[in-house]
Amino acid sequence: MNGEIVLSCTDLCVGYKRKVLSDVNVAFEAGCFIALLGPNGVGKTTLLRTLSRHLKPLSGRVEILGRDLQELPALELARRMAVVLTDKSRPPLLSVFEYVALGRYPHTGFMGRLTPRDEAAVDEALAAVAASDLAPRLVETLSDGERQKAVLARALAQDPKLLLLDEPTAHLDLKHRVEVMSILRDLCRTRGLTVIASLHDVDVAAKVSDRALLVKSGRVVDYGLPERVLTSRAVADLYDFAEADFSRHLGSIELRGDGRAGRAFVTAGLGHGAEIFRLLAKRGMTISTGILAEGDLDSFVAEALGATAFVRHNGDAAEDLLPQATAALDGCAFVVDGGPQTGAAAEINRRILAAARERGLPVLPRETSADLAKLAAAMDGLAAR
Amino acid sequence: MSSETTLAAIPSCRPAVAPRLLAFGAMAALVLFLMCLNIRIGSISYSTAQVWDALCNPAGSDNLSFIVWKIRLPRAIAAVLGGAFLATSGLLLQVYFRNPIVGPFILGISSGATVMTSLVMLTGLGLGFAAVSPYLNTLAACIGAYGVTLLVVTIASRVKSGVTLLIVGLMMGYLCSAVTAILTALAEKERIKGFVLWTQGSFAGFSWPEIQVMLGLGGLLMACIYLLSKPLNAFLLGEEYAASMGVNIRAFRMLILFLSSSLAGLVTAMAGPVAFVGLAVPHMARLSLGTSDNRVLIPGACLMGALVASLCDLIARTWLSPVELPLSSITAFFGAPIVLILLLKRGMKP
Repeated sequence: MNGEIVLSCTDLCVGYKRKVLSDVNVAFEAGCFIALLGPNGVGKTTLLRTLSRHLKPLSGRVEILGRDLQELPALELARRMAVVLTDKSRPPLLSVFEYVALGRYPHTGFMGRLTPRDEAAVDEALAAVAASDLAPRLVETLSDGERQKAVLARALAQDPKLLLLDEPTAHLDLKHRVEVMSILRDLCRTRGLTVIASLHDVDVAAKVSDRALLVKSGRVVDYGLPERVLTSRAVADLYDFAEADFSRHLGSIELRGDGRAGRAFVTAGLGHGAEIFRLLAKRGMTISTGILAEGDLDSFVAEALGATAFVRHNGDAAEDLLPQATAALDGCAFVVDGGPQTGAAAEINRRILAAARERGLPVLPRETSADLAKLAAAMDGLAAR
Repeated sequence: MSSETTLAAIPSCRPAVAPRLLAFGAMAALVLFLMCLNIRIGSISYSTAQVWDALCNPAGSDNLSFIVWKIRLPRAIAAVLGGAFLATSGLLLQVYFRNPIVGPFILGISSGATVMTSLVMLTGLGLGFAAVSPYLNTLAACIGAYGVTLLVVTIASRVKSGVTLLIVGLMMGYLCSAVTAILTALAEKERIKGFVLWTQGSFAGFSWPEIQVMLGLGGLLMACIYLLSKPLNAFLLGEEYAASMGVNIRAFRMLILFLSSSLAGLVTAMAGPVAFVGLAVPHMARLSLGTSDNRVLIPGACLMGALVASLCDLIARTWLSPVELPLSSITAFFGAPIVLILLLKRGMKP
């Protein structure tokens, strides 16, 4: 990431006959992993196809390493840019080595004969995606994950500066999804490769990418550091979330309960509450919780789950929040004792639990909440009543 | 440890040369052997020594000389060339459509050639010329073949399914047959007899000038195709990947279709429509050579095509001799089961 611009779009409009995305003005820096995010059908693939010159722009221009994309000779473009498409075909009777070697196309001579240098490049590409052992296998016999590695290796064998990928992890199992993403990130770090990938997992994108491009309703919404761009609000707007929330601190999506199953109060703290919150949310319950210290993991999870959390800010006395917290007990179906058992926080929690017992609310004790399986069964028992 | 396994794995993933050379040698030897048989065996039997003598004296004026030099030798050569060209034409189409179940016959391309040739042969468009020259026939056939190819491609670009493509091809075949039938009905009686024989497909009756056209024109086309091996290989990954690796797709697409239909047209103009060779042979070549690499497959399909066509022609001539069977009926026995097997295999893993 030295600030050199690899690819830039100026007033770019993309689409087939109809405009899909317009006024795209963005410059991608060298060595960055750029994630293209947005709901399905918004035009991520259309934009990628325009950048890879499979599609002509409706208007505006694209420059790659300072040259107009439309004017670059095909072979010269192929030496600068490789693509990974969503095409899932497996050519028959072709070894992985031969398949990857096809990526040397822009570098080999007229009959495509491989020089020792080409062969070394193929081996290196296979090694870069940890697929050297696949080399003698036939492409048609590979699993989806292995095939995707071979596809990546073929693109790398092209020796590009820029790699465009359309949903590179779609249909892969978790192991290969993680593997492909970490390979791509390593390629940016070690080879200075610029990677532009459309991704459907916003949480993965947040953790892997250096830049995020958010696309919605026919335009680019935002572009920049994912740490800045991917706020909870921005992600909710991007995907029209109603019952889920993206937490930047957690780097993941939390699914809220809709409250149809009622409300529960959880005494929490020091991260003890996070899993209890999720158990409740899964059962369709809304959550009140307290009293948490600012910055406690529980407070982030509670926020992402849309819980009413009583959070003590630095320097505040916990006692000041106690009346509000006990007031929140009204209307709760039950209370879970999930907080720490020692220290100042434990003392406050005990007072909340006492208030709950006074109100005649069922309290699931610490012995139950310490074992999540037991807790889940107890919750279901209470719900059945 | 891992680097050791890597190094050990690498030599085995480079394509082995020896078995391929062996396969090539075996095919070439078989083709030569079948050619000899095709010259040796016929409805009138002669001894090997007699046939050899006749072969050594092209200027001989006896019956045998005539039979060997005017009938059997041109026919044997025509079978070899026809088979090789049809197989290559089919191979190109299979690479183009990325679909193993296509060939010039099944896509109606041969029928397109038939229509145009019948136009020349039956209506006397060629009357201005002393006789219907092989050049005119070939030109007409190639135009017909290319026309149908473009039509099929246009329709195929709208329907993406590989099996639908077959139906499109069959319909093209029917349409062309209908036109041919109408032309036949309108034609003068004396022109029809030779024409009907021709439409059943046969390597019989090739003249030396025709062989020269096939060898010259076909050889040129074959050389062009072999030189296109590299972009053809890129096409194995599909058009979009090929484009991203630097193939000029639009020009290349037109070129493949032009070369493929020219080869099919060339053969059809002289031998009539020959079924299934273009479809079945590329598979036989792929399986026996164990690769999709077109640099190997193009010569492989040529040899295999020559082999299959020579064998089928031998069977057609000798099986129920003196009755000669239509060539297409024999090649259909080779080709149709292969289509069915491929369809079944596809159905099992979509």
